[in-house]
Amino acid sequence: MAVIEVEKLARRFGDFEALKEVSLSIEEGEFFGLLGPNGAGKTTLVRILTGQLAPTSGRARTMGCSPDEPVALKMKVGIVPEAESPPTFLTAREFLQLICRIRNLDGMDQKVEKWLEFFQLEEKKDVLCRDLSKGQRQKVMLAAAFISEPRLLILDEPFINLDPIFQKKLREYLQDVVKEGRTVFMCSHILEIVEKLCTRVAVINQGRIVAHGTLEEIRSSKGERLEDVFMRLIEGS
Amino acid sequence: MALHWSLFKAMFWEEWRLHRSFVGSVGSGFFPVVIFFFSLVLAATSPVLLRKMDMGTILLAIHLSAVMYGLGVGALAQIGEQVMTRRLGQVNMLLQLPALQPISFKTVMGVFFFKDAVYYILYSIIPLVGGIAAAIPLTRITPLGASLLFVTVLLTFMMGMALSFLLSAISIRSKAAAGASALLIILLAASAWPLRLLSPGQILLPLGYWEGHQPWQLAASIALVIVLSAAAILLMKERFAPPERRYESRLIPLEAAFAFTKDMRTLVAKEWLELRRSGAFGAVFTGFLGPLLGIYAIIWLFRQGMGIPLDFSVVFYGGILGFLGLMTYSWLTNLEPNEFLNVQPVGVDRVIRAKLVLYFLLTTPVSLGYLVFIGVLNDELSLLPLAALVGLSTMIYVAAVTGRMTGLRANTMLFDAKVLGRFSAAIVPPLIAVTLISFWLEKSPIVGSLSLCLLAVALLIVSRHLFAGLAKRWGKESFGI
Repeated sequence: MAVIEVEKLARRFGDFEALKEVSLSIEEGEFFGLLGPNGAGKTTLVRILTGQLAPTSGRARTMGCSPDEPVALKMKVGIVPEAESPPTFLTAREFLQLICRIRNLDGMDQKVEKWLEFFQLEEKKDVLCRDLSKGQRQKVMLAAAFISEPRLLILDEPFINLDPIFQKKLREYLQDVVKEGRTVFMCSHILEIVEKLCTRVAVINQGRIVAHGTLEEIRSSKGERLEDVFMRLIEGS
Repeated sequence: MALHWSLFKAMFWEEWRLHRSFVGSVGSGFFPVVIFFFSLVLAATSPVLLRKMDMGTILLAIHLSAVMYGLGVGALAQIGEQVMTRRLGQVNMLLQLPALQPISFKTVMGVFFFKDAVYYILYSIIPLVGGIAAAIPLTRITPLGASLLFVTVLLTFMMGMALSFLLSAISIRSKAAAGASALLIILLAASAWPLRLLSPGQILLPLGYWEGHQPWQLAASIALVIVLSAAAILLMKERFAPPERRYESRLIPLEAAFAFTKDMRTLVAKEWLELRRSGAFGAVFTGFLGPLLGIYAIIWLFRQGMGIPLDFSVVFYGGILGFLGLMTYSWLTNLEPNEFLNVQPVGVDRVIRAKLVLYFLLTTPVSLGYLVFIGVLNDELSLLPLAALVGLSTMIYVAAVTGRMTGLRANTMLFDAKVLGRFSAAIVPPLIAVTLISFWLEKSPIVGSLSLCLLAVALLIVSRHLFAGLAKRWGKESFGI
C-alpha cells in the first residue's frame, strides 16, 4: 500500500519553479531517502507532503490525505521540520504535553516521560525551550514527532545538531520503526547515514527527480559509493 | 569614530525597517505626515483654544506630552527589540552585536541612544513643531516663538529619553535601585502636582524657560540631558547570555482552570503561559486601559478646560470599548510565532480562537469596571445594563472582524490598503450608529434603547457568522511571519 503518492507535482514561487513534474510512490514499510543539493526543492516537497504548502499543479497524497486537508494529514504523520523551532515560552515537558493534547493521545504522562528519558532530557524538562541548546531543541522536536508513534515519519534533516551518540541512537530507533512495518521518509545531506539506512532513495536537483530507486539501481557500477553517485547525478543533470 | 558612524547608519535603517515590519511602508511614512497636519490644525485653531485656556496650560500640556513621549520611546526601544527578536527567532538585532563581535555593550548602547534620539526627533518632534511653524501665517505665532518651542520641546523629549535609559541601566544593576529611582521621580512629580510645592517649570527646566526666560534654564537642561545619558551609558553592564529559565509544569493545571472554554482549554492555557512568561502582560493590560482613560481625559479636558459641552453617556463609552480592544488583540498575536505548530494537526483558525478567548477574558472585566466607573461619574447607573450590552456586543463584533480579516497578523495586515478598506467598511458604520443612537437616547429613551438592543443583536449575529468562517479563511494558512 502506498503511503505517499505524488504525480506530476509542480510548485512555483512567482517566476521560480521550485518543483517540476515530480512523481514518486513510497510503499508502507520503506525507509526512503530524498537527497539533493541546497535549494534543490527537498523542503518544498516535504512542505507539500505534510500539508504546509499547496502545489501549483499535480497531485499529492500522504496517508490518503491531500495537502488540502492539513489537519487530518498531520494527525496521521510525525513531522520534523528543517529548522528546530519549539515554542519560546513553554518548557520541554509542557511542549510534549501540548502535543499529546493536540493529538488526543492517551497516557500522556507515561508518553512524555518515555521520550524525555529517551533523549536524556529529564534534567532539562522544566527549562524553557528557548533556553535549550540547539541540539536539545532538535531532540524536543524529534520527541514531538515520535510521541504519537505514527505509521509515517517525515523527517527533514533529523540528524542535524545531534552528537554522535544520539545520531546512533536515532539511527537504531528509525531502523526499529521500519522493522515494525512503519514508514520513514527522510531528507538528509549526510550521505553515509542515507547509505546505511535507506532501502530506496530519490535524488532531486533543480526541482526535478534525476534518479529514483534502490541504491543498487542508481549505482552505475557495483561498489560505487553513494557520494560518487550523488556527484555524478548532480553534475550531469 | 568611523565605526560609530557606520553603526549609527546601520541602526538607523534597522529602526526604519523595524517600523515597516510592524506597520508597513505606508504606515511608517504616513505617521510624521499625520503628526504634521494634526499640529497644524491645532495651531491654526489656537486662537479659539486661547479663549478657553491660557498659554501656560497649553505649554504645560505640550511639554508634559514631550517628556512622556521621551520616556515611552526609551521603554519601547527595549520592548520592540524583545518582540522583534522573538518574531524573527534566530535573527538578532544590532543591539546583540556585543555577544559575538569585539565591541563593548556600552559603545553599542551609546550609539543606540543617539540613533533613537535622532530617529524620533526626525520622525515626530520636527513634524510636530513643523506643523506649528506652518500655521504662522494664520495665527499670532511668531517664527521666534516656533523656534524656541522646537528647542524646549526637543530638550524636554531628550530629558524623558535620557531618564528612561538611565532607569533601564540602573535596573540592569539592581531592580531595587531602579524601583527607588522611579519612586523618586514620582515624588518629584507629586511635588508639582498635587502637592504644589514646586512649579512644573522648576522640574521641567525647558518649560521653566517660558516662565523665566533665563538662558541658564536652557543651558541646565542641556547639561542635564548630557549627564543623564552619560550616566546611563556608564552604568550599562556587559550582557551575557541569560541563565536558563526553569518553570514547574503549568500547562495541565491551567488547562483545568480554563475548562470552561471547553475544547479550547489547552490552547488558551498555552496562550496564557506565553502572555505571562513573555513579560507582556503589563503592556497588554495598559494598552487597553490607557486609551480608555485617555479618551475620558480628552473629553473631560474639552468639557472642563475648554467649556465645550461634550455630554457623552455611558452607552457611548460602551460603544468605543470594542473599537479600542484591537490593540490588545494585536499584542496577543505578537507573543509567539507558533512555527512549531506548522507540523502539528492544528489550524491557524484554532489559535486565532484561543487568542480571542484570552482577549475576552482579559478585556471583559476591565471593560465592565470602566463602564461602572463612568456610570458612577456620570450618575447614569440606570444605563449600565444597556451600556454593558452595547460594549460586549461591539467587543465581540470587532474581535470577530479583526480575527477574520487579519488572523494572527493584525499588526501588518491592517496596513494593507485593501484589508484596511474592508476593515474600515465593517467597523466604522456600527461605531457611527452606536454614537448617534447614544446621543438620541436622552431625547427618546425607549426608541433609543430598542434601537441599540437591535443593533447589538445584529452585531452578535454577524459575529457568529464571522467566527464560523474562521476555519475556511485561515484553516490552511501557515504559522509564522
